[in-house]
Amino acid sequence: MKLLNKTLKPFALYSMLVLALSVPVYFFVINFIWKRELDKHHQVIRKEIEKEINALHLEDSSLAQMLEVWNKVQPRTRLTPAPGTHKIKDSIYTTIRYDVHEEEIEQFRGAVTTIIINKKPYHLLVETNMEEFYETLIIIVLVSILFFILLLTGFIILNRRLSVKLWKPFYDTIHRLKLFDLRGQDKISFQPSDIDEFEALNYELSKLIGKNIDAFRQQKEFTENASHELQTPLALLKSKVDLLLQDTSLTKEQSEKIASLDSPLARVSRINKNLLLLAKLENRQFTENETVRVSETLNQNIALLEEHFRAKNILITTNIEADFSINANQGLFEILVTNLLLNAIRHNPLNGKINIRLCNKILIISNSGLSALNSETLFKRFISSSKDMPSSGLGLAIVKEICNTHNWKIDYTFENYLHNFVIRF
Amino acid sequence: MKILIIEDETELAINMADYLTGQNYICEMAHTFQQAWEKINVYHYDCILLDLMLPGGDGLKILEELKKQQKQEGVIIISAKDSTEDKVKGLQIGADDYLAKPFHLPELAARIFSVIRRKQFGNSNIIQVNEIQIDLPAKTVLVNNLAVALTRKEFDLLLLFIGNKNRVISKAALAEHLSGDIADMLDNHDFVYAHIKNLKRKLTDSGSVNYLKTIYGTGYKWEPG
Repeated sequence: MKLLNKTLKPFALYSMLVLALSVPVYFFVINFIWKRELDKHHQVIRKEIEKEINALHLEDSSLAQMLEVWNKVQPRTRLTPAPGTHKIKDSIYTTIRYDVHEEEIEQFRGAVTTIIINKKPYHLLVETNMEEFYETLIIIVLVSILFFILLLTGFIILNRRLSVKLWKPFYDTIHRLKLFDLRGQDKISFQPSDIDEFEALNYELSKLIGKNIDAFRQQKEFTENASHELQTPLALLKSKVDLLLQDTSLTKEQSEKIASLDSPLARVSRINKNLLLLAKLENRQFTENETVRVSETLNQNIALLEEHFRAKNILITTNIEADFSINANQGLFEILVTNLLLNAIRHNPLNGKINIRLCNKILIISNSGLSALNSETLFKRFISSSKDMPSSGLGLAIVKEICNTHNWKIDYTFENYLHNFVIRF
Repeated sequence: MKILIIEDETELAINMADYLTGQNYICEMAHTFQQAWEKINVYHYDCILLDLMLPGGDGLKILEELKKQQKQEGVIIISAKDSTEDKVKGLQIGADDYLAKPFHLPELAARIFSVIRRKQFGNSNIIQVNEIQIDLPAKTVLVNNLAVALTRKEFDLLLLFIGNKNRVISKAALAEHLSGDIADMLDNHDFVYAHIKNLKRKLTDSGSVNYLKTIYGTGYKWEPG
């Protein structure tokens, strides 16, 4: 849910509540005003009637006649002589009843009072038809709903406008962050904004990213420098071993011990070389691409490793589509193939199988195995997925990095006692 | 034959000199750019081993100077930088070979051997070791004037041995010579044994004396007497 929609909801709810509360308030206020005005009006009518009739100076008989006519033609008033000299108290009332004139139920506001005509008291009843309370209520509710709809559409339109305008720098920042690649080493520059919060956000982000870029560069430089610095002492050690082996005064055991240094030395050299390669891959130092003949490269590398397949009595089956080419770095592609093939040899039991398949832009290299490897950590550095075999733990990390460099997808699956490495070009 | 070792790491230079001196080479050393510069301008060498990162200057400048003076020394770059660009750049300027650190001394000796042979004998580059005759450009081997059919790897091995006579070569060095970069990724170096066995058999079957001695637990040695 978008942030703006989040704010819209409470706003809409609040305005609905306010409008709902306003309905009874309006109702009572309107009723109150109306009744007050009608009561005033009735008082005015009373005074007028009293004044005008007295001004006529009618005799009692003609007065009675006039009252009869009056009561017939003036439907909303009744003027009747008060029984005796009884003077009733003024009263006002509201009533709902069937109205013969309008032929429906109506609400009336009435006033009962006594007026004096010819020094005799008369009862005056004045009634005025007013809107029924529920009709008033319905109208108020309808008006409120109309206003609520107006408010809501207003909110939505304003929100849309705001999201385009007000939040533009924010969405721009997000967009730039999405495009940002630490390995690209390009500093990120955000659009300046006149909103303090966004400026603060951009400032902090720039600072954070700057630090990250520095840290990443330092890490890469460290790896590269450390690897370079290690080459010379390694060369020294290796040459020392070669020299010591020439010493004829050594016993057989001593010579064997010296020769056994070769293996760990070779491993350190390999780790060192691989670290350097990884650093270069991450530095994007391999830029030159060319047309790589995948089928041929595969066949050549398989032929080169022929004797190593044989040494473990591995049954190798190939199904390689001819003349398949891609645009890639030849050197890197060869490293990828060699690493995967050597991996398949290393982690293969004696008399195992290796299958190599290339078709439809998919390369699958499979080898026999007993149980699935942890696919989460398989391509991570220095995590050897095999318990019984020492390795530099970098071979697959390099394979993964080469795939990343070329935007290929690599997956690992384990099926029918086969480890499968699948590359989609 | 005179070799100049230009290497700032004194200990490594001494190790190289130690190993090579036993191979009928006379070695001189230079540890800085300045020393190297003086030596190449005064003396003549058969082969120069050149480290690129030197105190006082870039090793490639020395190479450029050698080419400018049209000197005939063979130059092998030995560098801690193992990048294709450096390799290509060095070879373009005129280096004869490029060896990345760390390397095995027998490998270095073999490279020196072949560079000097190529430089000094050109196309008529034929090595005679007793009854064995090796035609380097043609990559053919004759024993008592009869051709021996060697595979490419067996031929490479034979050259390595001839460039390191009377030296013990470890299995690791042999493996690296045969399979290059991938040697240290292989679990065992038994495949070396298979190639050695075949080479030995082919040579002795053709009537050659067995010069190839197995040094148990460590490696092999070529003793042509």
